[in-house]
Amino acid sequence: MTRPAEVKIREGATPGTRFEEFEVGAQTPEARFTITPAIIDEYIRAVEGDEKLYAVDGRRAAPPDVLCVYMTSTLYQKYPPIQGMIMCEVAFNYHHPIWRDEDTEVRMSGVITEKVVKKGRQFVKWKGRYVRADGTLLAEVENTVAVPE
Amino acid sequence: MERSIPITQEMIDRYGRINGDNDIVHYDHDYALKRGFRGTLLHGPHMTAFVAELGARRHGEHWLYRGRLRTKWVGPVCPGDAFVGELADDGTLAARVGEQTALVGSATLRTDG
Repeated sequence: MTRPAEVKIREGATPGTRFEEFEVGAQTPEARFTITPAIIDEYIRAVEGDEKLYAVDGRRAAPPDVLCVYMTSTLYQKYPPIQGMIMCEVAFNYHHPIWRDEDTEVRMSGVITEKVVKKGRQFVKWKGRYVRADGTLLAEVENTVAVPE
Repeated sequence: MERSIPITQEMIDRYGRINGDNDIVHYDHDYALKRGFRGTLLHGPHMTAFVAELGARRHGEHWLYRGRLRTKWVGPVCPGDAFVGELADDGTLAARVGEQTALVGSATLRTDG
């Protein structure tokens, strides 16, 4: 089992990344974690989820949004979060179920896609991919964060 | 299609334990007030999870293979609030607390198979 906190650097644990340090086109390192049935159970309780909604031909699956709690694992390895950084927006494309009756080893990597300043606020956009250890694409994510001055 | 959830600090704490977010604005009421909020804040991805379930309800197992979820967090949600998420027929997502919008987005299926 990999708890998200084990693969995500916490705000305040390092000096954090300033806006000018983000580099468009930079790849973020591969993060590896294992989503277990126990983590999925805990996640469903945490989000008041209806587990009956997630099944394929009788085989139980996880709510795919469980991936969200691991989202920044790859980004923060290269760009540790600075205090005051705010999550603004996220988009997921789901491609394959995460089965609830087995451990799922996931490898995640990403790339910085855009830096924007709007109305005096600084935004960084990046994309990531969640891939199962056997190469199966689970999901893609696009995330925008606001980085304080 | 709608989902209404009364928000408690216990729910925020439980999500924080699995999400690993230690920003005390989610856990310390007095600190949140000093930051100018009405109270501690529900995590944005927690809001996303609440409305993502509407996508699963509508699209069934297709959601797991072709689901596209987009959420933008635009307003605070605090303990004591009733969070109401709604998925319109065209796939538009919106969530509100009272009259205030908390989240906008969409939950649709991709057509690329």
